[in-house]
This record gives sequence, C-alpha cells and structure tokens, in this order.
Amino acid sequence: MLRRTTLKLMATLASVAMTPLGALAEMPAAIDKPVTISFYNYNLASASAGADATRELLAMFEKKFPNIKVETIAVPSNEIMSRVQADIVAGRQPDVAQLVFRDLIYIASDLGANALEDMVNPEELKAHLTGMIPQGLELGKVDGKTYGLAYTFSTPILYYNADLFKQAGLDPDNPPKTWTDVDAAGRAIKEKAGKNGFFPGAYGPVDGTFVYQAIVMSNGGKVRDGNKLTFADTNAADAVKMLRGMVESGAHAKIDVASPSDTFAAGNLGMFLYTSAVYGSYKKAAKDKFDLRMAPMPSFGEKPTAPTNSGSALYVFSKDPEKQRAAYELLKFLTSKEAYTVITSKIGYLPLRLDIVDDPNYLASWVKENPMFRANLKQLDHLTPNIAFPGPNYRQVEKMMMDSVREAVFGTGDPSAVLTAAQDEGQSLMP
Amino acid sequence: MTIDVPDNQPPMPLSPNEGTTRRIAVHGIMILLSALSIFPIYWMIVTSLRPENEIFSTLPWPSNPSLENYVFVLTRIPMLQMLVNTTIVATATAALQVLTGLLTAYALVRWRMRLAGLVHGLIALSWLVPFQVTMIPNYVLASRLGLLDTLTGLVVPNAVAAFAILLLYHSMRSFPTEILEAARIDGAKSWRILWQIVTPNMGAPIASLAIIAFISAWNEYFWPLLLSRKPENSVVQIGLQMFMTQEGNLWGPLMAAAALASLPILVIYLILQRHVIESFMKSGIR
Amino acid sequence: MTDIQADLARPLALARSPATEREQNVFTVLPWLYLAPALILLMMWTYVPLVQAFQLSFYQWNMLPTAPQRYVGLTNYQRLLALPEMRAALWNTLFYILGLFPMSVVIPLFVAIWTQDLTGRARTVYRALIFVPMIVAPVVAAVLWRWLLNEDQGLVTLGLEQLGFGRIGFLTDPKYALATLTWITGWKLIGFSTLLFSAANAGINPSYIEAARIDGATRWGIIRDLRLPLLSPTILLLSMMTILFGAQWSFAYINVLTNGGPLKSTTNIFYLLWEYGFQTLSAGWSSAAGMIAFAGFAVIAAGCLWLMKRFAVYDN
Repeated sequence: MLRRTTLKLMATLASVAMTPLGALAEMPAAIDKPVTISFYNYNLASASAGADATRELLAMFEKKFPNIKVETIAVPSNEIMSRVQADIVAGRQPDVAQLVFRDLIYIASDLGANALEDMVNPEELKAHLTGMIPQGLELGKVDGKTYGLAYTFSTPILYYNADLFKQAGLDPDNPPKTWTDVDAAGRAIKEKAGKNGFFPGAYGPVDGTFVYQAIVMSNGGKVRDGNKLTFADTNAADAVKMLRGMVESGAHAKIDVASPSDTFAAGNLGMFLYTSAVYGSYKKAAKDKFDLRMAPMPSFGEKPTAPTNSGSALYVFSKDPEKQRAAYELLKFLTSKEAYTVITSKIGYLPLRLDIVDDPNYLASWVKENPMFRANLKQLDHLTPNIAFPGPNYRQVEKMMMDSVREAVFGTGDPSAVLTAAQDEGQSLMP
Repeated sequence: MTIDVPDNQPPMPLSPNEGTTRRIAVHGIMILLSALSIFPIYWMIVTSLRPENEIFSTLPWPSNPSLENYVFVLTRIPMLQMLVNTTIVATATAALQVLTGLLTAYALVRWRMRLAGLVHGLIALSWLVPFQVTMIPNYVLASRLGLLDTLTGLVVPNAVAAFAILLLYHSMRSFPTEILEAARIDGAKSWRILWQIVTPNMGAPIASLAIIAFISAWNEYFWPLLLSRKPENSVVQIGLQMFMTQEGNLWGPLMAAAALASLPILVIYLILQRHVIESFMKSGIR
Repeated sequence: MTDIQADLARPLALARSPATEREQNVFTVLPWLYLAPALILLMMWTYVPLVQAFQLSFYQWNMLPTAPQRYVGLTNYQRLLALPEMRAALWNTLFYILGLFPMSVVIPLFVAIWTQDLTGRARTVYRALIFVPMIVAPVVAAVLWRWLLNEDQGLVTLGLEQLGFGRIGFLTDPKYALATLTWITGWKLIGFSTLLFSAANAGINPSYIEAARIDGATRWGIIRDLRLPLLSPTILLLSMMTILFGAQWSFAYINVLTNGGPLKSTTNIFYLLWEYGFQTLSAGWSSAAGMIAFAGFAVIAAGCLWLMKRFAVYDN
C-alpha cells in the first residue's frame, strides 16, 4: 500500500544515521584523538550576557580539552526543543543539548537522552555530583535516573521598584510577604502612583509554567498527580482565583503578557514576580532610573512558599562512546566551580554548588557587591520541583492548561469552571 | 527626481473654486496616507539613535543622538556578514525565480500539451499550500541534502514560485504570436527564441517580478529561523530576533538592527523607485 | 487586457493557447525539459510533503524514527475540531479577511480614483512614500508597531491618552487586539494596492471617458458606470488575494506580537496549525490542521474563480 510504504520509507530514511538503542557501550576514560560534538544552546541565540558568558565558558573548555571541538547550534529557547527533535528526525544525532525542565519526561522517554547512571561509572559520577545541591539534581531525574544535569537555574523572585513604593506611601524596606500584602501594595501603587501594581511573568509565550506552578504549589496545589491532571482542584484553583481577585481589585496589572519585562524595566510596574536569572539585565536597566530591589516570592498566609525552578538542564544524546566521553567532559566542565562562577556573576543564574558562594577563589567578592542575591539563594532551601507532563501530547496538555489559566485570570467566566473544562479536555490527551 | 509615469488621463475640467477645494482635499489625503506609511520607519530611526537612558523618550528627535546602538549591534552579532548573506540569498532567489518562471511560462505558451491543464493547476495550487505544513518535511529533506546551515538551503526551496510563473505566463501570452511564428519559420530553435526574442521584450514584468522576489526573499523569516544554526551563516531577520530576548527586548539595539536590516532595501528602492513603480505599472500586474 | 486571475482560471478554462496546431498530437520531450526545473522543485518541496502530510494526518506519530506510528483514523481531525480554540480561530480568520478589505481594496480604490488628476512631482513623492511599508519586513513591522503601541511607553498610546481617549491596550485588551493586528497587516498593503489601482486606472482608455463626458455624464456617473466596471479585474484580483492570503499574511504578526492572545482573541487557523502542529512536533495534529486549512482555502479559491469568471469585465 502506497501509504504504508511511504511512511516506512520516511522512517527508514530518518533512521539511517541512527544506531539502534539499547545497552550502551562503555565509554573510554579519556579523549586521545580529536572529536567534535554538537551543543544545542539557547543562551547563544540572543545577543545577551548569557551568550557572552557561554562563549567564554566554551573557550575555556576547548582550551582545557584541545582534542574536543564543540560545534554550537544556537536556537531561541522556545524553538530549541523542536529543533533537537527535528534533527533527530532528520538523522542528525545531537550530542549535548541545553533544554528546559518542562520537556524532561518526553526527552527521557521519546528523544532517547542517555541516563547518566547508564553512561558513566558510578564512582566517577558520584565524585562529580558531590557538592551540587541535591534538590537541583533531583529535578533532572525520571524514575530515579538522571537524564538532565541541572545547569542554569533560577527561581521566581519578587522584583520591586522602591521608588514607586515610596510614591505610593509604602515602605520599601518592608516588601510584601504574603499575597494579601501584594494586593494591598498593588492597589496603592495603582491608585497613588498611577502605575501598574503587580504582575507575574507567568502567562507569556517564553516563560513556560514555572512561575504559575510556584504560585499553585505555594498554596498546596499541584498541576498533576501521576497521570491525572489536578490543576483545577481546590488548592490549585484557589491560587488562580487569588490572581483573578487581584485583577478585579486593580492590584494585578493587565499588560502585554509577552512583554512585562519591558514594562518593569521602564519603571512602569511596581512588583514583578519572575525568574531570578534576569537580575543582571534589570540592574542595568534600572541604573540611574529607579531603585531596584528584590524579595522572596510571596506566600499564602502562613503556608510556606514553594519556589520552583526555571532554567535548564544538560542532556546527552550521543550514541558513540567517544562522543559520550567528550559530552560528559563538557557536562562536567559546565557544572564545575569555575563555570558556576562565570554563570552566576555574568548571567545571574544560581550557582548549584553552594560552597563557592563564600569562597574567595570563586564568588565571594561578587556576592559581597551584590548582597541582594542572597534573597535568591535563600529560596533554594524550599525549592520544589517543577512538574513536567508525560505522554506524546504533553505539549498540547500544557498549552491547554496555560490557556485556561490566562482565561481564568483575565477572562470574565467563572475561574473554576474554566479550569475544570480545560482539565477534562486535557485529561483525554494524557497517557 | 521627477518621474513621468505615462498617464493618459486628461484632467477633469473643474470650476476654479471646486478645483482648489478638491486639490487641497486630495493633497490632504495623500499627505495623511504618506505620513502613516513612513512614520513608523522614521520613529525606528529616531529610536535607534537614542542613547539608552533616553530610549523611552517621546521627543521627535533625540537630544543627544548617538550611534551606540549601532556599535552594539555590529559588535555583538555578525551583522555585516548577515547583510552579505541576505544579499546573496535574495539575489539568488530572485534570479532563480525569474529563470524557472521564464522556462515554465515559455513551455506553457509555446507548446500545446495534453497535460498543460494539469501542470497549470499544480502550479497555481501550490500557492495555497500553507508553509507551516511543509516546513518540517522540508527541514528533513534539507538536512539529508546537506543544506542545513548553508545559504543554498535558504534559496533552493524558494527557487520556484507560483506567482512568478503565473505573472510571466500572462505577460508572455500577450506577446505577438506573429513574431514567434516568423522566428520559427526562419528556423530558430525554441531555446534561441526564448532568450533572444521573448526575454528581451519582457523587461518590465521581469523587473517587477525580480523586485518582488528580492524583497520577499530579503524579508523571509520563518524558514531561515528553522534552518539557522550559527549566526554567521544566517540572515538579517534572524539577527533582529537575537535582540528579542527572554529578559525583554533590547529596544535600542533592536531598532538599530531593524534599521540596518531595512536600510539597504530602502536605499535600493529610493534609487530605483522610478523603475520600480514604472515596471509595476507596465507589467501586467493590474 | 488579461490578468493574473485569468491565469489562475486557466486550469479550469484550459486551451486557448496561441501555439500552433502543428504539434498538437505529437508528444515531444522538449517542453517537458523546460518544465522540468519548476516541476521537480515543486514536487520536492511542496507536493511530496503535502501528500505525506495527508497520510500522516491519520496517524499519531512524533516523527521520531524510534517511535511507533499508530493509525488513529480521523481522531486527529476530531480532536482539532473539538478544540475550543478552533471555533475562535475560524471566526478570527474570517475577521482578519473582512477587516483587511477596507485597507486592501476599498480605501486604495477610492484614493486611486480620487487622486488621478494629481500630476508631476507631488504624485511621484506620494507614490514613493506609500509604497514603503510594502518593502518593510513583517518582523520589522511587528517590532515597530509593538514599540508604537506599547501600553505604557508607546507613542501612539501616549498620544491618544493626551487626546482624552484613555489608555488603550491595543495588544493586551481582547477587544482591540484583533483589530490592531488587522491594522498592522493592512498597513503593509494600503500602498501596494493603491499603486495597483492607480496603474489600472491610468490604463483606462481615455476615449471612453471623453465620450461619456460629451454625453453629459457627471463625475460620479463616470466613476460608477465606467471606471468601476473597468477596474473590476483589479478589484477582483485584490479581493481574491485578500481572501486567500489575508489570514496567512497576518501570521507573522500573531507569531511575533501576541501568540494568539490575549485570551485567544487573535489566533487564526494558520496560527493554530503552527501551535498545535509545528511547535509540538506531533505530525498527526499538524498534518490534520494543515489539511483543513489547505482544503478550506482551495475550495474558497475555486469559488472565487467561478465568481470572477462570471463578473469581471474585460476591456477587450
């Protein structure tokens, strides 16, 4: 049959360059002949501090390992996942990729990423992982195996504009701690300073689900439980209703979900809950314009907050043992103390090796100059893993969820009903 | 620069009074339309010249015009290389579309074939295929052909355009049959007729087609976005995209990059505009 | 006078070729050699993928060589059509098309007729200026308008606020976002359409106008009875382009500016196809969505051609 032959043909053609999966061959202990590996990276795709720092790291790496050449493929963060997959489809096996956590399960189960436990011998792996934050490592695991090695890392943090606080008669030294405080402060800024009160970077096309999940989990909710979607259940829905309440009270701004960063950087937004990774660029934007401050994310009354992570992990896809070794060396280097010193001080991501924070050889002097960064480090204690969705339609499910959240917060319908409808529909796409 | 586009309309006889009012109204409308058309471009250039701390200003001209955004763009990304790449890609695409268009149109005009209807239908229908459908298969194909990260890969899938073929076909059909017939009787081969008789007489449609193809290839965004792997092998529209970051847009550099991406084509347009507009008017696009 | 739309109509009308009859029944290789480059490229880059997409629309598959292809029949189509977004996307597609008409046809037509007796330098300058948006890249246009329409810093927003309109959330308020995107799409078309109409208007045989004037026709009478009918091929051409490609033209702006939001108010069929298909790389969904869009517009195109053949007036 024509249909079946064509499909088969496509599949065969696509798989020509792929070696079969299965038991991985032992990788060599060192690289003694030249090898080139590909590295899919999204920091390189924008003209930002992240790109400069990444280039610097790669230059350091190639100097340290003259036999390994890293061929970089720069793709914007919202396209990178599709690109890795498209290249696998096209038979160009990627070696290392920087990918976000939301795709974790799919990467492990469908894209065939290597589990580090299967690829590296246990002592060597243990030696490297020692000193890294366990909650961070936990995030890259599926069924107990590490598929993604936590790399760049940040948590939601409340940026606020102290000048607007003063104009609104609020105390900038006493930032909001609970959502009730945020509501009050937001309304004050709106009414007295005439600017936007509060906005979370939770609804846009590039920010994934981590800010939203952090809010939900701080209220004891969860977006899914096993294969069951739970984002419309009581606690999760109440968190969304809280946001809706703030929209109605005027404390929560109604601005372009794709560009709240611009609004905040221009000094037109009082409080912005967003990834700590962008501290560097806000610091630059706020210079001589307004007094930028940071506070931990707000809580629901007395409940502890549950900051989840945004950022990325490094995944290895190589099938060839030589390349696996080269890829693993790259992973090791990019999560080393030197690397985190660059990553934290030049980009603003969290160091996943906390012992370097006060080490004068590494970050000590920088942290001294940027004391506010400690608010960010403090949140690491109660870091809660971001929840990824399983199954072949996970992206569609995630999209349905985020669409319904936007609808529930900004729309006119009953928030519970909106979330429930989306949950029922999404459930039919779950495995 | 004055242009005399042939215009055979005799002006309407108007009473002097009516004439003045009408003339003012006409100019008013045209000034409004022109302003709407170019104001965003003007604002782009003004914004690109503002230093960082003045970026949100609404003054019609920066108080301290500065080139810092341009310096930033040129130093942070390989913008000049991207401009060269884009020029190559756009020129090659335009040339190939004209070439394949001429060959195809000529075949359809010159011979009467049994399957002509089908061929014509396939060409016209291909215009309606959404690029979103063919993108991934094309990516896979480009990858197999070793075209990823090459300029060839950006050109080849666009080497044929239904629009080009149909435009040239239509102009060729109005070509006087007697001349073709005479040439054929003289023993001229079809190849020679195409290049020595037909093509030289199709200056206007070829020019307007080349211009349209060049502009749209220059402005192409989604296919290069998918194909691009390294900034230095990419095109200017991707360069623009590099200033829209997760941390918000870098407005100053973004405007400077947008200006750099648009200026070459604007300059070419200003120099050629008389020919551009004239060829549009003469060619069959009516 | 013939036109592009007449060429589009060719496959339906067939024949009428000016070529000689001599070669009629002889199969020759030569023409196929001329046709080969275009046909091969079209097959490779358009039709083979299209046929594959048609097949894949009945499967659940993420295109990975290691993943199984599961035949699911019409499930992909059912799921897509059941999406709450689908209804919004279809309505919005219609709104984009209708909303573009004033800017791609109505205004340019009247501007062209109205300004026909402008002469000399003024006309040259105007024509040069209104053509400019046409050559601006869609991505650049999107960025420029986002900058101008930003709710807090945008020049246009601030200007309108000064005039007492309040702060309009052009891209953030579901009430305005669709109209805003339609405007941006149309902004790039006004100049181009005006130019086409001016050209067509200038090409009208002046003796007709003269004759009508001698018969005592009024200015409006001439427009209504002569110019509009003689411009009808151009009107129909631009209308058909708007109907067939209007929604596709707005795609770049949706992608760069709103991602279909706020609250799905700006998504259209092509963006839905992009989001559920391309971005999720599920071949089944994307192919099914692509088929719906392709088949839908092919049917509309056929309808347009039929109408055009019935109603266009040619000055032969």
